[in-house]
Amino acid sequence: MNRLVIFIRFSVYILILFALLILLYIVLRRVYQRVKDKRFRRRYLRIEGELLNALSTPGPASAVRLAENYKKYPNVLTKLLLDYAKVLSGPEKERLKIVYRIALEKKSLKDLTSMRMIRRLRATRLLGFFIDPLEMDSMIKLLEDKPIVRLAAVQAISQLPTTETLPLVFKAFEADSCPNIHSYINVIFSLGGRAEVHIREALKKPISYEKIALLIELVGAIPIRSLYPDILPFAGCPEKEIRIKTARALGGLRIPDSVPVLIRLASDDAWEVQAQAVKSLGKLKSPEALDTLATSFFSKNWYVRFNARSGLMNLGEAGVKRLEVIAHQTTDAYAAAMAAMALHDLNLSCEQMNP
Amino acid sequence: MIGLFRVLFHIFSYLVLIYFLLLNGFYLLFMVLSFFGISRYRHRTEYIRLEELFLSPLAKPISIIAPAHNEENSIVENVRNLLSLEYPKYEVIVVNDGSKDSTLEKLIEAFSLRKTQWVFRKVVDHKPVRGIYICPANPKLIVVDKVNGKKADAMNAGLNIAHYPLFCAVDSDCLIDRDCLLKVVRPFLEDPERTAGVGGIVRLINGCTVKSGQITKISLPQNILARFQILEYFRAFLGGRIGMSLIKSILIISGAFGVFRKDLVLKCGGYRPASIGEDLDLVIRLRKYLHDHKMPYALHFLPDPICWTEVPETLGALGRQRNRWHRGLIEAFMYNRRMIFNPRYGVTGLFAMPFYLIFELFGPLIELVGYAIFILCLFLNLVNYPFAITFFLLSVALGTLLSVAALLLEEFSLRRFPRTSDVLLMALFCILENIFYRQYLAFVRGKAFIDFLHGKKEWGAMDKKGFSEEIPCP
Repeated sequence: MNRLVIFIRFSVYILILFALLILLYIVLRRVYQRVKDKRFRRRYLRIEGELLNALSTPGPASAVRLAENYKKYPNVLTKLLLDYAKVLSGPEKERLKIVYRIALEKKSLKDLTSMRMIRRLRATRLLGFFIDPLEMDSMIKLLEDKPIVRLAAVQAISQLPTTETLPLVFKAFEADSCPNIHSYINVIFSLGGRAEVHIREALKKPISYEKIALLIELVGAIPIRSLYPDILPFAGCPEKEIRIKTARALGGLRIPDSVPVLIRLASDDAWEVQAQAVKSLGKLKSPEALDTLATSFFSKNWYVRFNARSGLMNLGEAGVKRLEVIAHQTTDAYAAAMAAMALHDLNLSCEQMNP
Repeated sequence: MIGLFRVLFHIFSYLVLIYFLLLNGFYLLFMVLSFFGISRYRHRTEYIRLEELFLSPLAKPISIIAPAHNEENSIVENVRNLLSLEYPKYEVIVVNDGSKDSTLEKLIEAFSLRKTQWVFRKVVDHKPVRGIYICPANPKLIVVDKVNGKKADAMNAGLNIAHYPLFCAVDSDCLIDRDCLLKVVRPFLEDPERTAGVGGIVRLINGCTVKSGQITKISLPQNILARFQILEYFRAFLGGRIGMSLIKSILIISGAFGVFRKDLVLKCGGYRPASIGEDLDLVIRLRKYLHDHKMPYALHFLPDPICWTEVPETLGALGRQRNRWHRGLIEAFMYNRRMIFNPRYGVTGLFAMPFYLIFELFGPLIELVGYAIFILCLFLNLVNYPFAITFFLLSVALGTLLSVAALLLEEFSLRRFPRTSDVLLMALFCILENIFYRQYLAFVRGKAFIDFLHGKKEWGAMDKKGFSEEIPCP
């Protein structure tokens, strides 16, 4: 017992010492951080003042002078350029580019191959704003990097949407693992109509159904109406997720020709597809969909009913009349109550418009 | 007889020592894991830009469900906070769970609510709904007035009315950061198939300054009990839960703030209306359902999304709260006892639940038995004083180290105490909490076993002071 007591006592000393060291570290770190932040902020404000001056002065001379004067503070300049590049465009952004080229380009390109991921990431973000087609090679190499750097690279490449760069974005999307897909979707979404050709090609390739489903969803979200014939065949796809996304995309495209397809999807085996198709029919506001929407009001699934209710509410007078019929029938009390609720809501909306 | 008792006491001392070292060893392991978890998260978020998430066409809409019971002091401010969040599409469902004060009236007056004839599908059971109100000026807000059940019952009512595929459970007495939903929804976007739920850090609002429904200044509360609880929350959230989530063992996503996939929660029957610890119970049943149906899943705990809550400042209220939490723990484990040590449930059955059972559920009992035996030995003059004093010092030193390590984690987190003097003061409280506070908590948690056996189902009310504009919370 005595040896144990001695051992425990020794452990107590070690633990106390360790706790004190942690506390000391916290205090020292805070002091260091405060001094560092203060210095950084002071420099940031000084350089920012000069940058604003350079942006409002005609000609590149003041931007060149600023870059020469402050290239010894790359971190401050990086932060400043990242902050301003987000909100500037046109000749002002060109001035930022000058500062970048003189003060940071060399370092950024070097950082792209750094061992530290955070440096690679920062350099990639910076290049995302100031990328030059000539630097594309080093950026393409980053498509083999860790997922997070790869995404930043894809984002940077998409800033220069050319016939050379866009296939690279899609190639990375096709090859990447599922958990990162959403980030590509953001990139592709930001490309808008320029993504049309590449989405069309990707839809024909044997990629995973999750990716196909997301591309279809994008077609409706952007929307790219010219891709309507390309997504239409997916309405008959055996994969439920793809049928759901197709129904959603058709609602987003709002092409009247898609009503018969959506009516067919409204009687799909899967309730998720039915619900989405009914929702899209509601968006299309087509009188042809009136009967389908009214039938869907009596579906076994609540979501289908709910979307049918919204659809009928969108259909104007014809929809209101059908809601009144449903509200007065007695075979399905739940549907009657739901229709009454819809009529009540419409009444509230009217009151809001004409108080 | 005394000789036999001496031998038993000797064995017991060693067992307690082993138990104690194991417990603190695990806590230290979780702390180390949390350190890596927080660092990794910070690196990742360096790249993520929230405005991109905001604009993402794939951001799933969220239904925020906030049950409220007698919250007249803070309800309007809290609902304003919920309505001002940054998220592309969401709805706020406030469930007035049979409040006896003027909670509903205050809401009706503040938001000009109108009673509707809404119908909803009753997928999960709950007490009758008296009325559903909507806000014509802000369609995001829905207020449900129902007969008093419990929090779980109110959550079920909210689930039945919610329209969106994700739901966020929040306490109506909490404030959440404006970009909280954007941060917490990220795992659902990155891994939509597997992510079943995501939790976030809960921190104390006591002492902080609130302006327009948002925290503007973080500082220490004046109340000593609240200061002890700050350390506890740091250890539990920054240390324990982040660490446990990294080894896929998280069993609690706090009822104060957590986002779940609605379809999965409905499939496992929603909240159990009778449960006292509804948050723990839901996560355990969710894990059970997903394991039983062989569905791959992930539950995440993020170190960043922050929810601010008011904690009790009197011993009575604190005792009632902890007693209820422990009764909730006992009840959830009794209900799901088949999962414990069951290899069918993987890491949940073989590690997470046994860990909670041995160290969290029985922890206070073992501690109380230790105190009782020590007092008995004092009377029988059997105490080995050098060992007892050294052991006490060891427990204080280990407890202090864990708390200081939690302060270090707080240092790396994104919302820290701005004043160094606050940190030093907290370090003092790391030592002080070992005297009386810890024993008091062990007592009220131990008493929870007796209350549970007597079938006590009381919630244990706490007087909330609410958050007034620009005035620091006490």
